[in-house]
Amino acid sequence: MKKSPLQAYKQAPWRIQLQWIGLFLLGLVLVASITGVYLSISAQAAATGRKIQFIENDIDEISNEIAVLTTNLASDRSTENMLNRARDLGFKLMNTNEAKYLEIPGYDPDTDLELAPPRVNIIGETPIIKSDYKYSIWDWFVKQFWYISDNTISSEGDYAP
Amino acid sequence: MKPHPYIRYVIITIIFLLFGLAIIVQLVRINYTTYAKELIAKSEDYLGVNKTIYPARGTIYDRSGNILATNQIGYELGIDLKDVNDPESISFATASLLEDLDYVDIFEIANTEQHDMENRYYTISSYVSEGTILELERLEEAYALRRGETKSTKPNLDGLVWTPMQQRSYPEGILAANVLGFYNYFSRKTAQGVYGIEEAYNRLLTGKPKTIYVPNDPYLVEELPEINPGASLVLTIDREIQKMLEDTLAEAIDWSGAEGGTIIVADPETGEILGMASTPFFDPNAYWEYEETFPGITPYNRAVGSTYEPGSVFKIITMAAALDSGVVTPETTYVDSSGVYWVANTWPIYNWDGGAWGEQTMTGCMQYSLNVCLAHVAIDLLEEDLFYDYVQAFGFGRSTGIDLASEANYPLRLPDNNQWVVMDLATNSFGQGIAVTPIQMVAAVSAVANEGKMMLPHVVRSVVDQGQQYNVNTQVVNTPISAETSETLTQMLTYTLEEEASDALVEGYSVAGKTGTGDIPTEFGYTSELTNASFVGWGPSDDPKFVVYVWIEKPTISKWGSVVAAPVFHDVVEQLVVLMKIPPDDIRMGLTNE
Repeated sequence: MKKSPLQAYKQAPWRIQLQWIGLFLLGLVLVASITGVYLSISAQAAATGRKIQFIENDIDEISNEIAVLTTNLASDRSTENMLNRARDLGFKLMNTNEAKYLEIPGYDPDTDLELAPPRVNIIGETPIIKSDYKYSIWDWFVKQFWYISDNTISSEGDYAP
Repeated sequence: MKPHPYIRYVIITIIFLLFGLAIIVQLVRINYTTYAKELIAKSEDYLGVNKTIYPARGTIYDRSGNILATNQIGYELGIDLKDVNDPESISFATASLLEDLDYVDIFEIANTEQHDMENRYYTISSYVSEGTILELERLEEAYALRRGETKSTKPNLDGLVWTPMQQRSYPEGILAANVLGFYNYFSRKTAQGVYGIEEAYNRLLTGKPKTIYVPNDPYLVEELPEINPGASLVLTIDREIQKMLEDTLAEAIDWSGAEGGTIIVADPETGEILGMASTPFFDPNAYWEYEETFPGITPYNRAVGSTYEPGSVFKIITMAAALDSGVVTPETTYVDSSGVYWVANTWPIYNWDGGAWGEQTMTGCMQYSLNVCLAHVAIDLLEEDLFYDYVQAFGFGRSTGIDLASEANYPLRLPDNNQWVVMDLATNSFGQGIAVTPIQMVAAVSAVANEGKMMLPHVVRSVVDQGQQYNVNTQVVNTPISAETSETLTQMLTYTLEEEASDALVEGYSVAGKTGTGDIPTEFGYTSELTNASFVGWGPSDDPKFVVYVWIEKPTISKWGSVVAAPVFHDVVEQLVVLMKIPPDDIRMGLTNE
């Protein structure tokens, strides 16, 4: 009867246990690292989200403030107020006999008021929040992976003078 | 007996398993307890809110860039029942600071049981000033101090919410209010422009509101969509001219004891309305007082919203038709031997003074405003078809298309209408039996002042939308008469004013114009002693830069347009030439020749 060769020796049990413990710890460290990165990114995303919310509130408040200031300015410069200020400064309404007329070449008192540039083709609008702030953790990993791959390839094949 | 070698491990494992199981059981239990639904509902409150973003309403400027309508901050005051725990204090604070709020009413709201999540917010005032909000904030601070001292939860204003929002403001007050209209912002969802520019351009000014979900969770935060503000408008109105017109009109109404009136100033070359005053004056900042200022059927803007029989100013149209069709020249004569013209040998037409004026040229007919002469021209020379063709070519019987809301129009009674009789032709020739709006008269007369070209009257000069400016092009509506007729008629009416030394004349400036005294029909015929006094004129005669229309309704000092309306025209033009920087004729001619 032909016998298969027997293993001459066997791993000591404590070595096997150590290997398992090492493997487990390696997994633990890996999970902890991923969790750490995830938590860090999440915290940054949350902080940025909060910041955006505050900025949006600020925008509302600033818009309101602008409206108040515009109204106040318009009230201060209203016809009635301007007339009163002119009277206080000693001016009075002129009549036709008191007017002196001079010809000023090129002067047109009735030119169109320009509050904005004339109509042009509308250019597509770009979003205010950068696309980076909208990434999930998975998107981030993919982006980093491609970034590293691209850099590796370019550093191998390209030469920047 | 020797214990199992791993008994300790087994016990620890069982303990951990039981502990984990207990956590899972507790998690499941929490989700199915009686409080779970309440907790879930409460948590939904904090997830986010649906928010409607209303774009800022567009600003309205005068032609020089001065603001006529803009937005200011007001506050909406409401009660959120979710947070109320001291309804007495809320009721006391609001009722003592806001006159129109009643303690009992507020208490009833604040003390309501919160039944459902949807209906827990109540608006108690749609507009509260910033000053009142500051008072409320001070009161809240004082209550907080008191709570700290007494270690009590009361008094407090929790649940009283104030939200800032942009509301319409008219910094010039009553100035140009009849042109601007107003914006009824109290109910934000149903708010819209009413009358004038605010109504005519409501959609452009409003922009597009957008409802979005705003999450509180910072992970879910998204970029708010960009909401473009409503378009801004630059008007053709010059606020200096508008102010002058309103002051002059107020004085004229006061002086003449009239019921109302309107004055319009337009540029005949472009159709731009430079100023448009109308009574009663009104402050759109307090638009809720509208019904007190405009009781019954009082038009918001008489210049576009009121029709009346214009009287002799309409003779300009009849004479323009006669000259343009070639049936008369300025020198054509008419003999008024009896002071009466018999229509179809049945109905008599008399002159304004009932007298006979003998032989008169057409210029004389216009100078003395002879009804019999114009009736003769319309019936015997123009005849109905030609007369009404011209009347329609001048735009009567249809709206002018001015960009203001609520334009009125009274249909013409034409020969093909069963109710039309030849007497209509006679009376229409001198402006009776026909109803027009002041803006129709301005548009028609502008054609006479602008080489026969009738321009579309308009109030908006430019639209500024999304950072771009669109300038409104001027439009020729029609050319009812030739440039030659226009010049001839202008010369005739310049001459007649100078010959009669009219009160309308302005020293140093040649102006053409015509008075009008329109009888007012009642249900018994023309029995009223009251009239519509009017004057329409343009100048400088050789190169018209303005058309001025004055209508004084039911003056009591005198019934005649020459006495009441002509001096008002004079006062307006005297100031207008300064504001428009138009030199006197001699200086202007000198400068032109140089």
